Amino acid sequence: MPFDWMKIPYALLTLFIVFNFGMLLNALIQKIGARVGRRYGVPIWQNYADLIKNYGLRSSITHGVMYYLGPVFRLTGGVGLLLFVPTIYGSEMFSNLSFAGDLILALYFVFFGTLGMALGAGESGHPNAAIGITRGLSQVTAAELPFALAVFSVALQYQTFSITDIVAVQQAGFTSWTLFTNPLAVAAAMLSFLGSMMRPPFDVVLAPQEIPIGPPTEYHSSYLALMQTNRAIFPIAKIVLYMSLFFGGAASWPVFFLKVFAIYMVSVLVGVAFPRFRVEQSIRWFLIWAVPLGVLSIVLV
Amino acid sequence: MVDISLIAMATGFVLILIGLYGALTNGNLLRMIVAFTVADAGVNLVLVSVGYMRGRTAPILDSAVPAAEAVARIIDPVPQALVLTAIVIGLGVTALMLAYAYRLYEAKGTLDIAKFSELKW
Amino acid sequence: MVSALYILAAALGAAFLLGLLREERRGLAYGLTLAALGFMTWVSATWVWAFATTALPPVEIFTAGTPPPFAINLRMGMGEAALTLLVNLVGLASALYLKETLLQLGRRAMAVLLIAIMALAGLILTRDLFNLFVFMELMAISTAGLILLSADSRALGAGFKYLIVSQVVSVLLLIGIIFAYHVTGTLNIDGMAQAPALLATGIGAIAAFLILIALIAELKPFPANGWALDIYESAHPAYGAIFSAASGAAVIFAVDKVLPIGGAAWLPVATGVGIATFLFSNLLALPQTNDRRLLGYSSVGQIGLVLAVVGQRDVLGEAYGFIAFGLLVSNAVAKAGLFWLSGTIEQRGLTAWAVLRQRPLALFAFVTFLCVLVGLPPFPGFYAKWELARLLAGEGRMALLAAILLGTLIEAGYLFRWFGYAIKREPEAAAEGPRMQGAGLATGWNRALPIAAALVAAWGLGFLWGDLSGRGNLLLALPLLFALAFLVLDWLPAWVKNTLAIGGLTGFFLLTWQEYDPLRLIFAAIFLIGGSVILLASYETKGRRIGFYPSAMLMYAGLVMLIRATDAFGFFAAWELLTLGSYFLILRGKHSEPHALSYILFSLGGAFAILAGFALAGQGAVHLPLDGLAKVAEPLAPWVFVLLALGFMTKTASVGVHIWLPGAHAEAETDVSPMVSGILLKAGLYGFLVLLMSMGSQRLHGVELTHVLLWIGALSALVGNLMAVFQEDAKRLLAYSSIGQMGYALFGLALMNHLGWLMAIMFIINHYVYKSMLFLSVGGVAKRTGTRDMYRMGGLVKLMPLSFIAVLIGIIAISGVPPLSGFGGRWITYNALLDSEVRLPIVILFLAGPIAFLYLFRLIHTVFLGQLKDEHRRIKEAPFWIVLPQMIYVAVLLVVAVVPGLVLRHVDNYLDRFFPQGGLEWTGTVISSNYGYWNPISIMVIVGVIFATLFAWLLFVNRRAQPVKQFNIVFSGERPFRPETTHFAWNFFAPYRKALGFLTTPLATRFWEGITDLLHNAGDLVRRLYTGNGQTYAYHLLAFVVAVYLIRLGA
Repeated sequence: MPFDWMKIPYALLTLFIVFNFGMLLNALIQKIGARVGRRYGVPIWQNYADLIKNYGLRSSITHGVMYYLGPVFRLTGGVGLLLFVPTIYGSEMFSNLSFAGDLILALYFVFFGTLGMALGAGESGHPNAAIGITRGLSQVTAAELPFALAVFSVALQYQTFSITDIVAVQQAGFTSWTLFTNPLAVAAAMLSFLGSMMRPPFDVVLAPQEIPIGPPTEYHSSYLALMQTNRAIFPIAKIVLYMSLFFGGAASWPVFFLKVFAIYMVSVLVGVAFPRFRVEQSIRWFLIWAVPLGVLSIVLV
Repeated sequence: MVDISLIAMATGFVLILIGLYGALTNGNLLRMIVAFTVADAGVNLVLVSVGYMRGRTAPILDSAVPAAEAVARIIDPVPQALVLTAIVIGLGVTALMLAYAYRLYEAKGTLDIAKFSELKW
Repeated sequence: MVSALYILAAALGAAFLLGLLREERRGLAYGLTLAALGFMTWVSATWVWAFATTALPPVEIFTAGTPPPFAINLRMGMGEAALTLLVNLVGLASALYLKETLLQLGRRAMAVLLIAIMALAGLILTRDLFNLFVFMELMAISTAGLILLSADSRALGAGFKYLIVSQVVSVLLLIGIIFAYHVTGTLNIDGMAQAPALLATGIGAIAAFLILIALIAELKPFPANGWALDIYESAHPAYGAIFSAASGAAVIFAVDKVLPIGGAAWLPVATGVGIATFLFSNLLALPQTNDRRLLGYSSVGQIGLVLAVVGQRDVLGEAYGFIAFGLLVSNAVAKAGLFWLSGTIEQRGLTAWAVLRQRPLALFAFVTFLCVLVGLPPFPGFYAKWELARLLAGEGRMALLAAILLGTLIEAGYLFRWFGYAIKREPEAAAEGPRMQGAGLATGWNRALPIAAALVAAWGLGFLWGDLSGRGNLLLALPLLFALAFLVLDWLPAWVKNTLAIGGLTGFFLLTWQEYDPLRLIFAAIFLIGGSVILLASYETKGRRIGFYPSAMLMYAGLVMLIRATDAFGFFAAWELLTLGSYFLILRGKHSEPHALSYILFSLGGAFAILAGFALAGQGAVHLPLDGLAKVAEPLAPWVFVLLALGFMTKTASVGVHIWLPGAHAEAETDVSPMVSGILLKAGLYGFLVLLMSMGSQRLHGVELTHVLLWIGALSALVGNLMAVFQEDAKRLLAYSSIGQMGYALFGLALMNHLGWLMAIMFIINHYVYKSMLFLSVGGVAKRTGTRDMYRMGGLVKLMPLSFIAVLIGIIAISGVPPLSGFGGRWITYNALLDSEVRLPIVILFLAGPIAFLYLFRLIHTVFLGQLKDEHRRIKEAPFWIVLPQMIYVAVLLVVAVVPGLVLRHVDNYLDRFFPQGGLEWTGTVISSNYGYWNPISIMVIVGVIFATLFAWLLFVNRRAQPVKQFNIVFSGERPFRPETTHFAWNFFAPYRKALGFLTTPLATRFWEGITDLLHNAGDLVRRLYTGNGQTYAYHLLAFVVAVYLIRLGA
């Protein structure tokens, strides 16, 4: 099979756009969250400043090979996820590297970065890193389940695992979106979405406000910068998946920006309104409220 | 008139029942052995009574009973033979039981069967 | 040929001669005794030879020169010849064994022994009912005499109890005989059986009842057998051997002879009494702690089993002799051997048999006898049981078959528990002072010789029965011979044997690989090549490693024979062989005694289900080819399916019957764990594959059985994964993970579509590779650290980098994260699911999926990452031979990840013949299904390029990173210094336990423990029946007689 080398610059272009969008969007979200809490919040370019500062830091230590590779794994996961999914429907230019695999590849590649990250943080020997990871993993087993069910329900509905095909079916007006043709699946998936965005009430994994916990604990300077880069790309890549599966995808960049923002806002709206769950509480919550929806969506589709 | 063999047979069965009853209700080794000899006697009596035929003579071929007439004149010889064997065997077993009882008494100083129950379960 | 009468004459003559000898000439007396017994044996042997080699009809011997009914007659036929040979041989061997005792007690004891053997031979030979009575009384008297040989003073009481019972029996028998004679006019057994008058008259029927019940009472039927157990417990072991092997055989033959007198109505009685005795004896044997009493219960039970078979002779046809004799000689050889062995052991507890470990040959004899007794291949009982099951199922007597198999399972339970004690426990301290070589063991050539003879006889009879079975002799099967050869070669150093083993496995694969279809080829490759790779790790073990290679090769032989089997018999034989081999392997682990026991019990239970399933499917047909399963029709088919599936589930450790696996796999030796996990579990999946290939999907009461399997598979996946999360022991974690992985594979097979099967195959290959690899690396780590508890390790990545790499690659592969081969499995799984109509079990499967991340992360983190412990600072990488296979696996995983088509493509094509729809398309490097596509090479390249670019970028911006010491971390303003308090590892997923811990309630364990407790308690309760009072035993006998009479009346 001849490889179209033009795909590489196109993919890099997608990456560039998404990265900047993610940087700005993250800051915006932070700001919205702050305003709800009656604070002023960060300036919109704050993330760029942090990133440049972290890349510029000179002090730098390593605990070992896995520690060193952890952020690389992490960012590879984010970039890979983005590039395995076509970003803009109908555009050959922004279909990225989706020839390598379908929806299932995207679903499983999500774990690539998580795993590498967890290993890297583990090598630092910091107990808080390990505690954060155990919490995150515990929560993810329950939180991912409704999403997996919803994805399968959608695949059943359209009889395909190809993301492009799934988006194609939803192009006949917004009533053809999965949101309306399979509302149970979407409901299940959106509840799961809350769990995967690291925002309240499901953010005990990172617990950013109280104690330095979780993988970022021991990472600093360029390691942290790499992870911040990922922080800009990864959520967007994930939302692209949601958007394509449930909300009709995006046929152009403006629609893309709008939909991604709207979907992101779901988790923000919930997040600012609810206090935090403990891990076992959130596991029970997902199993009791979200999983039955997913099961129903599979049975009824 | 009641057939003598029937009386003998009935007596035999009564003896057997007495013997078994005695063996099952007496805890003393010697009493049990005696009871079994009573039962043995009963069995032998039953054996003989089965082979008995009225008006015939003992199955001994001599001048009194020539061989040619034997079939019509003597009683069935087989039960007689069986009884003889059974008596001998019964004697043997009784002797063995008595020997056992002696050694058991030597070992424990008692003849109570219930005392010899170390082996169980 | 010498007339059979000389057997009796020689014994009598010698006994009289002994009486003439002076008391001091003991040596001469002993020589005379041996000579007489030797002569008797020789006579029997010549007859056996004559009957076996020529078509000689049975020979009648008329004692008074006239035929019956005027004189007593004897008969010598094949059966009589074989049994007298058995009796005489046992007598001869026991006389040898009793050398010291007999020399000490003198000529009288010898005469009694001769009379006893003669009485038994007479019982077998005579055709006259009264003569039978005489021999029985002789047996009773001589038995009472021989019991006195024992040094155990309690034997006196036992002898007296026996005399009481025999008195009652003789009363019944004599009355029965005389009335039967009265009615029929004959004492000849055959004449009586042919006399129609006997059963027609009331007296005749009662007479027949009394005769038969008296004879059956001599067989020690439950519950009228307390006296026999007391004899077994207290008599001299050499007499125990005679009592079990010879007396039992003689009396059962007498019953078999006399049974026609009672007509066909007596057959069910014999069966009922026999099976009840078999079941209850085995049940009561469970709580026994005295070896000889345990053997006694087992003997009583085995004779009961033969009696049940005698009762089935109307349906067994030509195979009757093969089956009955098979069971009889199995019991005889094994019991004689075991009683003789017990005579060499000073203490009476079961654990005392641990002294046998000092004599490997004696241990081998012990295990041989146990296997003979349970009826495992290649011994006679195995063939007999197969034929019995086949014929019983053919007649629809499944309840009886079930009872027989249940009893056998219980028997296997206490016998293998005993073996476990012998292998693993320390013998009770016999005396103070240091243990010396040979302590607790009494030996001598005259004791060793009979045991050796029994050992040779066991294997010889196995060969003979294999020859007679007409099914291909297992002892001529090349793989089994190869395995048995290691028994002979066990004196060689381990590395030589290891090389031989690897050579044998690979050589066999190279010789035969073209004979397999692609599916079987995969299994063959895993078993043979995969086995060789794991064996590389065995080079690590130095010394001779006694017992390892025969066991391992036995397992491999079974596995190979399994995939080469074409008919049900071959399959089942292979199944039992591999079970046995793997049991011995598992038992080698340091603390594996209880786990090995539960393994063999579940496996045998499963094997018996398979046996019943095959028997049901065959419907009495002599040969059942495996693809003949397809022809089984309703309404049998679903039941066959259920039975076979149950059997296979025990091997794949599906949920419910999984509880043996964690302990068995975790406690096994380092190189054994991958064998029993990576390889052995596949046998169950192979079974499922064969089952589903031939029988497809079946419905029982409207329930789709494959649907049930789906649920079982999904639940196994969930339970296995969830349990793995909460383990502190690394090997237990891996073991539970296997339950989950096998659940996935079973799920795939049960989907019954093209991709489902492909998924199962993928799981089979992957599971072999990564589970073997992980078990080896964890085993290597455990070897270095001296513990398997993960929280006691930590930070080993720098010290054991190669093991770390293996685990890393392994967990990426298991979790299904691209780009490694596990992803292919997941991708096929999703497509297979989409292709099926199944919905709800998917939910369970999806729930199970991510849980794998939890335990995998735990494994790698708590062992290799985190804080290094002080005591581990100086440990080295795992030994070379343990690392080498791991590196091979890493390479294999990487290759399979890039070019999965190498293997899968052929299987995919081959599966078209079962499921023409829904295969994969292989275009270039892209693999596509009806629903999606996947390009493994692209994925690898893309991920590689992104990773490399980012890595290069990090290297560039972060080139001056300094390595720091262990505790250089930000830690709440303090500087941690103790790894124990800093390493977060114990109870790793505490919140998860809070949320979902209730799902790990050990319901299955409790259930099975409840069952075993119930059996034990029931046995313990029922055995109180045997109060030890001789009078009570007489009551039991009368109650038994009355009960049988009433039941017959009611029927």
